[in-house]
Amino acid sequence: MTRYFKVQLVFFFRLIVGIIFIYASIDKITHPAAFATAIGNYHAVPFGLENMMAMVLPWLELLVGVCLIAGIMVDGAAIMCIVMNIVFIFAISQALARGISIECGCFSVSTETGDNIGLETILRDIAYLVMSFVILYRNEKRLEFFPKHV
Amino acid sequence: MDIRTPIGQAVFLVSFSCIIGFGSNLVKADAIPWIATELEIADSITPETESTDPVLLAISLNQAKNLFDDGILFVDARDDDYYTAGHIQGALKNAFLMELIFSIEAIQEKNMPLVVYCGDPGCGDSEDLAYDLQDSGFNKLYVFKGGWLEWSKAEYPSEMDE
Repeated sequence: MTRYFKVQLVFFFRLIVGIIFIYASIDKITHPAAFATAIGNYHAVPFGLENMMAMVLPWLELLVGVCLIAGIMVDGAAIMCIVMNIVFIFAISQALARGISIECGCFSVSTETGDNIGLETILRDIAYLVMSFVILYRNEKRLEFFPKHV
Repeated sequence: MDIRTPIGQAVFLVSFSCIIGFGSNLVKADAIPWIATELEIADSITPETESTDPVLLAISLNQAKNLFDDGILFVDARDDDYYTAGHIQGALKNAFLMELIFSIEAIQEKNMPLVVYCGDPGCGDSEDLAYDLQDSGFNKLYVFKGGWLEWSKAEYPSEMDE
């Protein structure tokens, strides 16, 4: 029963994190300039590299989300989830510590619908981080199609 | 790179994202430059209303004060609470974008100059809003980067929301 529960829990986390990452990527892919501005507002990326990040990051989020849900390269996708969430937590924390009041740019990059960064944003990312660790350190690799044996 | 190992998979995902991201930017109609550029700082400002050339420039405190003295409209890009606590005299509140656009259009034409500001030089809301307003057809936009911090320090005309 416990084993069954663990397998279900991991699959549930894969679905949750996967859907969140896919949802988070859509608005950024369709509005790259606004997302680049949102990244720039954090004042954490040097040399004007926020534009390159704005080109790549949404696609990485989309790929990672699809991989988690589809059961393809789940280990790699979980590692990238962990890396991205650590980066997000660091970026938000340094902005809050410096007293910068900016929009998160997490799910929507529009100034009309975007939410401002705050403690709840960090807690939300910590929750995703924990789920990503659970996925990475799962015991059984059920409902996964590639690679079959690692 | 062995795609069967976790690290190999992560490297593959990043590489594939770079290819799609950079590749799609090459063919997109709304492509962005590879490297971001800072908003150009205005040397001198002549907010004449006859010209239809688009303007989006950053301005200093002195330039902002000169525009204020000329009666140019200011828009506060900060949240309600900050606006209520204190803002540049006569500045419009940043409501929903369409509401703000209607408010501005009730006062002046879209080709008239407009100054947008937020909290301090570190905040990006003024630049965000300026780009949104530019997309909505306003073509003479000045971003006062120093924002409320510099304005209130200089003790220039300000007011609290009633």
